[in-house]
Amino acid sequence: MNQFVFEGKQKNVLFGLMALGVVCMLLTWFQDDVYHTRFWTNFLHNSFFFTGIAFISLFLYCGKVLMYSGWHTVFKRVWEASAQFLSVGLILLAVIVGGVYFGYHHLYHWADANSVANDELLQHKSKFLNKGWFLLATLGFGGVWYFWARKMRSISLDQDKHGDSTYSYYKLAKKWGAIFLPIAGFSSAAFIWQLIMSLDAHWYSTLFAWYATVSLLVSLLAFTILLLVYLKSKGYYHQVTIEHLHDLGKYLFAFSIFWTYLWFSQFMLIWYGNVGEETTYFKTRMEEYPINFWANFAMNFILPFFILLRNDTKRKYGSLVFISIIVLLGHWLDFFQMIKPGARHTAHELIEASANHHSSNLESDVKKVLISNTEPTKTIVSEEVKPEEHKAEEVKVGETHATANHAENAHMESANHDGAEAGHEGHHTPEFKVGFNIPGLLDLGTFVGFGAMFVFFLFIQLSKAPLVPINDPYLEESLHHHV
Amino acid sequence: MRSLNKNILFGLYNDETELLGAISKAKKAHLDIFDVYTPFPVHGLDPLLGLEESRLHQAGFVFGLTGTLTAFGFMSWAFVKDWPIIFGGKPHWPAPSFIPVTFELTVLFAAIGMVVSFYTVCGMGPGIKNPTLDDRITDDKFCIAFDTSGLNSNELDEINSFLANTGASEIHTKYI
Repeated sequence: MNQFVFEGKQKNVLFGLMALGVVCMLLTWFQDDVYHTRFWTNFLHNSFFFTGIAFISLFLYCGKVLMYSGWHTVFKRVWEASAQFLSVGLILLAVIVGGVYFGYHHLYHWADANSVANDELLQHKSKFLNKGWFLLATLGFGGVWYFWARKMRSISLDQDKHGDSTYSYYKLAKKWGAIFLPIAGFSSAAFIWQLIMSLDAHWYSTLFAWYATVSLLVSLLAFTILLLVYLKSKGYYHQVTIEHLHDLGKYLFAFSIFWTYLWFSQFMLIWYGNVGEETTYFKTRMEEYPINFWANFAMNFILPFFILLRNDTKRKYGSLVFISIIVLLGHWLDFFQMIKPGARHTAHELIEASANHHSSNLESDVKKVLISNTEPTKTIVSEEVKPEEHKAEEVKVGETHATANHAENAHMESANHDGAEAGHEGHHTPEFKVGFNIPGLLDLGTFVGFGAMFVFFLFIQLSKAPLVPINDPYLEESLHHHV
Repeated sequence: MRSLNKNILFGLYNDETELLGAISKAKKAHLDIFDVYTPFPVHGLDPLLGLEESRLHQAGFVFGLTGTLTAFGFMSWAFVKDWPIIFGGKPHWPAPSFIPVTFELTVLFAAIGMVVSFYTVCGMGPGIKNPTLDDRITDDKFCIAFDTSGLNSNELDEINSFLANTGASEIHTKYI
């Protein structure tokens, strides 16, 4: 069977799961806070997760072409098909972009004009974090990726029909793939910064983009293993042997370790540097969201490392499927803990700000008075009314050294920020809430719904072409692959 | 000089397909192969010869674990018990900062341990000269060797004709 048939029964099951997802999203919407933070974070989370998997499958596909890789050729249609999900991903991302424009969600602190007006740091970042760039880059990058997904697929399908011994289509795929890799490298980093990292708008980490990208890559590998085992169980892909799955298992093992390397590097540099602006990210997660934080580590490093360390666990369906499910859920949880705390904090601040506004609190009006951003060399003049301890750190007007100013501004900003927070409620831990502190059933249901949609579109694409490519120069090597 | 004190009868083959075919035939004929030498790893050779999986990686795990415990244990002892010191405002047991060194020592112990184990098991090492059947088995020849000590002339003839029939380009005997 070289032609995948998308059966009615599979469609019904997938439609059922998608309906479950919709029901979960509706339930989330109606028991949510005033900004529907849980709903929108779930929407962003799952849209990003599956669009990211689609993107990274295209990236890996192009990489494989350039690496003269042969072993994967027999199942390369799976990655071609999953990359086509970028079309749906674009629509999902358009909903997020629309929310930034029209204000029907409040995920991003930097998209709130009032917050930016009182926030030197956000003003400084607004060259990157602004609505125009967000629109252009999110949809632009997504569009470019989708174009490439179509292009690589059409080359591959043409090769099936007209491929010959000159390997002209393979060479063409090489050219397009080579152009895509640098574009993908830079665009995916910016994409992740603006969609995920900017949820914690004051915080940044230079490692973040790689860490998130590798998270997607590991998810893709786990997903590929699960899909191939499923297709084999349905009688397809008898050419995909345990040797191919063994190699995918090795990939999963290696990139789980690489993910841990980046995860730990990001953590340790921030822990060691001990700069308040940076440590707040981990302090929040370790103290207020410890379950997410440590489950993330256990599911994405401890378990895959010790289970896949042995040779034979990579050559058995049971252990491979088991660890793939764990890792797929683990990386979903990884994005969960990247997204939830920042968005929740933003929602809290907005709710507080509007409450203060209505009571026309004198204190909050006087707070943070004058901001001068016309000249970059001028420092801000801020009149903190309350806390004496901040007076000492205040403003040296006339200071001319630019970098010193910058550092001072950043420092003051964090001081102001802390001061403002302390003024309202002190440093309290937000209450434990399912959907933020741990994923609840509704969040898992939403995940299942999005996953079903992803598989649905993947199956449609998979049924459009032969499962095993026909004229690929590396096909023979792949059929005889031996670890 | 490390000697096996054995009379070896061996045939040289020109490529690995002939070699694999010859080994299958030898197994069918119940000939007792002493060893097989190839210039590069040949896929499918190990299961054909019925070789067990190497235990080298298990040794590697133990060596690695030794490195992990050595590094982490020593640093913990030094920082907590022997000479407590406040360093960079960190706690007395700054575990995250031990991880890079622990990682490096794990790799170092595993690597050196595995190399030494491998050399010991194979009887290799600096200054040790091992006899070879033919220098070309590290270049382009594939060799099947039979131990002929204690075999009668009938059995020797059988092996000789087997080698000739399965396409060996050369047949030699050597005492090593």
